[in-house]
Amino acid sequence: MSVFMDLSLILTEDRSGLRLLVDTAAHLGFSTVAINYVFEPPAKKKQEIPSPKPIHELIDQLPIVQGRSWPIRVLNRLTVVMSDSTHFAACMTYDVDIICVPVTEKLPFFFKRAPVNGAVDRGVVFEVSYSAAIRDTTMRRYTIANAISLMESCKGKNLIMSSAAEKHLELRGPYDITNLGLLFGLSEEDAKEAISSTCRSVLLHADTRKTASGIVYTMKTRQQGALPPPDCEAPAAKRPKPHLTA
Amino acid sequence: MWTDLTRTPRTLLVCERSSFLDEKSRLREQVEQLHFNYKVSVLLPECDSAPSHLEAAFKSFSSFYLIKKLPLFELLDKNFLEAAVYQGNVYGLSYRTRIDEDNCVALMPNGQLCLSLDKDSFEMLGLEGKPSRFNHRAASRYVVSLDLTDSRMAPGGRGYQRVLTGLTSRVQLQMDILLSHHPGGGAALQSLLSRYSWTELTPEVSKRRLTQLPCPTLLTSDLQSCDPHSFLEWLGAVDADVSCENSSSSFLSSLVCPEPMTTASHVLSISICGLLVPQDVHRLIQELRCYLEPPCKAPWVALTVHGFSDSPVTWGSREHGALRGGEHFYTLLLFPDHTYRLHLATGAHDNCPP
Repeated sequence: MSVFMDLSLILTEDRSGLRLLVDTAAHLGFSTVAINYVFEPPAKKKQEIPSPKPIHELIDQLPIVQGRSWPIRVLNRLTVVMSDSTHFAACMTYDVDIICVPVTEKLPFFFKRAPVNGAVDRGVVFEVSYSAAIRDTTMRRYTIANAISLMESCKGKNLIMSSAAEKHLELRGPYDITNLGLLFGLSEEDAKEAISSTCRSVLLHADTRKTASGIVYTMKTRQQGALPPPDCEAPAAKRPKPHLTA
Repeated sequence: MWTDLTRTPRTLLVCERSSFLDEKSRLREQVEQLHFNYKVSVLLPECDSAPSHLEAAFKSFSSFYLIKKLPLFELLDKNFLEAAVYQGNVYGLSYRTRIDEDNCVALMPNGQLCLSLDKDSFEMLGLEGKPSRFNHRAASRYVVSLDLTDSRMAPGGRGYQRVLTGLTSRVQLQMDILLSHHPGGGAALQSLLSRYSWTELTPEVSKRRLTQLPCPTLLTSDLQSCDPHSFLEWLGAVDADVSCENSSSSFLSSLVCPEPMTTASHVLSISICGLLVPQDVHRLIQELRCYLEPPCKAPWVALTVHGFSDSPVTWGSREHGALRGGEHFYTLLLFPDHTYRLHLATGAHDNCPP
């Protein structure tokens, strides 16, 4: 098993609210959270995709995770709401890490095995959010119904559960979310994996999209010392080139 | 696809009945094999205040040390190995690490070092290990067991160098460690204590006096007057201070005292918390046996010993895990005629207790 993660804390304008959200997540035992920037591209005009603010601008000091001695890790995440795509296209072709299952309405379609299996093979996960279920009883019915419908196709694999919380009272502890997973039809171990190991796979999958399949990446280093003198004895080809690091 | 929500994760309960006078009694081994004990709770029915020899026994549990941010390669330090590990009886456990989330470490008194690592740490460390028995679909937890007393792990040897290189240059594992040396105390641990920030802690003893408590009537260990599951549930409710009245107006608890029951006028509940070594627990059991001898009127005494829920090992060096809760404990029910009933219990991610 890996550390517990909540990969969806909705970004709001209120800085102190966000700070309280991260504090509560750390207190509940989550070691990693992701702040979710939701972007819905408008139909007519072009809008710029929001760029994530560095975390030290939003929160001064990251709180320590409950029961440990290290601070919580805060990541950034972009969610794009696609209005004009099919479920099939999203599962098979889109270059994404997470496909969110909506909870605001009863889904008009059933999840078919083929695209779901295709997504699972590519390493894409499906996400179910639970904070809407806390806010409203109708949403609760839709959340459970949609989650069970998804479970029948994906059999509990490649599923993550996250809060999509806007306020700190909508967060729940990791073992409580495991219980919620039982309601969705997951087994005990599957539900626990949905908030730990599968979330870790999502983060690794996101890394592989940035790099050449996660094997080679380049990073800039700050060179402190001076360049070697031009009359150095080593042949030119073997002198270190400070601006490239593999 | 609808799962049965009334089903709880599986638990195991082993019940044994024997006598202290029986030569084949395995109690000593069973007590000594649970190396890392977190809490000892004693329930003394019909007792207002504990006699002085018992009070002394409660306060005589060995103290232990908490070392903050100890790099793990220090456990391979030559001076530490010679002064403490090779002599035996050093107990070490990582503190504030969760067995189902983080890397955990246990140093057992026979010199075995057990590392329970997540996938990334195991792959980077590069030591030989096995996947955990409680992995689900993909292996995400691995267990590395090193015998520090083995000749290959002697300082300077190839095995030793490999582990040292792994812990110093590949993955610099560092965690808070609870250490206890019995019966040496801090002297044998000086090589580590002198270089890192440490605190000496003594086990915390707390007492509660309860009056008019309904207790199950346990006649002797021969007669099955009470089913072990309901007895343990009642004992847990008393320890957790949960009411067993089951009144119709309260929805908090529907736990009841198992029948047949009597009402005890005074009951004393004592609990001791800390890193408790099995030798101290064994000594307490002998003192409780002396307490039960006549003229004591107590019908029975219950002693419960809980293991650390985040320990990588349970009885012996069996692997321990946590699914919902990492419970592994035993309850010893002592009777005045030198007989006892022992209940050993573990949770979902554990194998059968001895």
